Amino acid sequence: MTKRPNQAPAPPMTRPSFLRGIVGIWYRHALALTRVWKVATTWFVIEPACVLLAMGLGVGRLIGTLPTHGEYASFVTPGMIVGMAMYHAIFECSWGAFQRIQSHSVETLLTTPIGIVQLAAGEILWGATRSALSTIAVGGLALGLGWLDPSAFPGVLLVSMLVGVEFGAIGLCFAATAQTTSTLSLIFTIVATPLFFFSGSFFPMEILPRALQIAAWIAPLSPGVHLARGFATHDLHTTHLAAAVYLVLLGAASFPVAVWLLRRKLLR
Amino acid sequence: MAEIRVEKLVKRFGTVRAIDGLSFEVASGETFGLLGPNGAGKTTTMRVLSGLSPVDSGEVSIAGIDALRDPRAVRCVVGVVTQQDGLDDDLNVRQNLEVFGFLAGLSLRVARRHTREVLDFFGLASRSEDAIDELSGGMKRRLAIARALMIQPRAVILDEPTTGLDPHSRNRVWEELAQLKARGVTILMSTHYMDEAATLCDRIAILDRGRILALDPPLELIEKHTRGDVQELRVTTASHSSVRAELERAGIRWREVGAVFRLNREADPAAVRSIAGTRSEVRRANLEDVFLNLTGRELRDE
Repeated sequence: MTKRPNQAPAPPMTRPSFLRGIVGIWYRHALALTRVWKVATTWFVIEPACVLLAMGLGVGRLIGTLPTHGEYASFVTPGMIVGMAMYHAIFECSWGAFQRIQSHSVETLLTTPIGIVQLAAGEILWGATRSALSTIAVGGLALGLGWLDPSAFPGVLLVSMLVGVEFGAIGLCFAATAQTTSTLSLIFTIVATPLFFFSGSFFPMEILPRALQIAAWIAPLSPGVHLARGFATHDLHTTHLAAAVYLVLLGAASFPVAVWLLRRKLLR
Repeated sequence: MAEIRVEKLVKRFGTVRAIDGLSFEVASGETFGLLGPNGAGKTTTMRVLSGLSPVDSGEVSIAGIDALRDPRAVRCVVGVVTQQDGLDDDLNVRQNLEVFGFLAGLSLRVARRHTREVLDFFGLASRSEDAIDELSGGMKRRLAIARALMIQPRAVILDEPTTGLDPHSRNRVWEELAQLKARGVTILMSTHYMDEAATLCDRIAILDRGRILALDPPLELIEKHTRGDVQELRVTTASHSSVRAELERAGIRWREVGAVFRLNREADPAAVRSIAGTRSEVRRANLEDVFLNLTGRELRDE
């Protein structure tokens, strides 16, 4: 390239890459987590372990085996793992992000050379990381109990991260629109809790009335549960492919909405 | 050459023009102040210049960059301090700076070096491992300014740098800003403290309702828009209503600014002295008087 004589002087600092912004947000969250790792351990291990053990050992002992789905503990495990992955991503990207918007520390991030897209992507990437950490903890416990096959673990982990991306983006939408913490809590009462119980985690969807079955299959956590169970039982067929496509589409569709809502909220 | 150039900027919120055709230039190395009451459009202007707020029309060029087209490039070379400190409570002092530097494109090694430098500059080195909520309000503000210096900016944009600070902390911030200026950093700041503007700024734009009413060095503003001295009447033992009655009887026009009666300059000194229960004082006019004369309102009006 030839240098023109009247070329403007190069700015003293080179512009950071697009990826730097995303990694930087992720780095911020990782640092924040290491500062509270003792408490964080309880989120990742103790609480989900209680639910998994109660379902697997408690309810599982009453039910024993399901007619079409085998042992109940093995049936419920992938659903629990994916449900917990959803909770972690939602918590991080709705509650966590909302608090940081309110305290203006998100505005500070935007005084660096990053844009809203990188902010949203970094937040969601971290949400998915928390989903993965949760799956490593709960899945590790399930491996130890013999309720999850080690060879199924990578597949289940991948599904958890996709679920993390999807619900991270959905969580950000709520963080960007909620006016108060009480409206924000709607994401738990109208989104997370119904999905957790009615996405096929605890019982096979076939036993629901027909109309509810359709709603349950459309529900955004169902493809994750179905896919994780497919990996767990080593029984993958075309419905799982459809679930994977649906899952990815849900994440891909939520992301631009989250970006749009965040831009509306933060750049006024 | 102008480091910051703003031309015919307009921004509406609904039907309200928060910025109403604003134009000004800040020279390289200059400290430029936007002085005005709350709601004058100061913060909106700062946010627009930082790329945090879209505009309806106008042009902004900062460090030779079209700031409306490429705000991210501006933020590579300009430090932005927003009105709220915006510190990250989940990180300690050092981590706040390091994460900021990393996001701005510094390597972690360079970010750590710059962190040490700015903490030294602000006398906060001993607090580097402290949690944010262990800092005083003044320290938090100074840390927020320190953060903007992580990128070794050629210009900084400061929105009300000392609002809400105690006098001691304000003085420290002033000192630090003066040192920055001495290093050649261009400073654009907003304030509603006239003493702050007069102390720090080379030139001041008096802003009201999104427009610049006057733009000059502080002393020239006072020369042009006041009559030099201001006579004031402080109430000691009289009631405010009796003072009003007496002033009216003596044919003196006045304006009440807080608890003080600011008298029209033609007031006859003998007549003023004869008002019982008051003490009259003559003082030099200041930027507050400039604003009052230009708008008929006080700087502190909401």
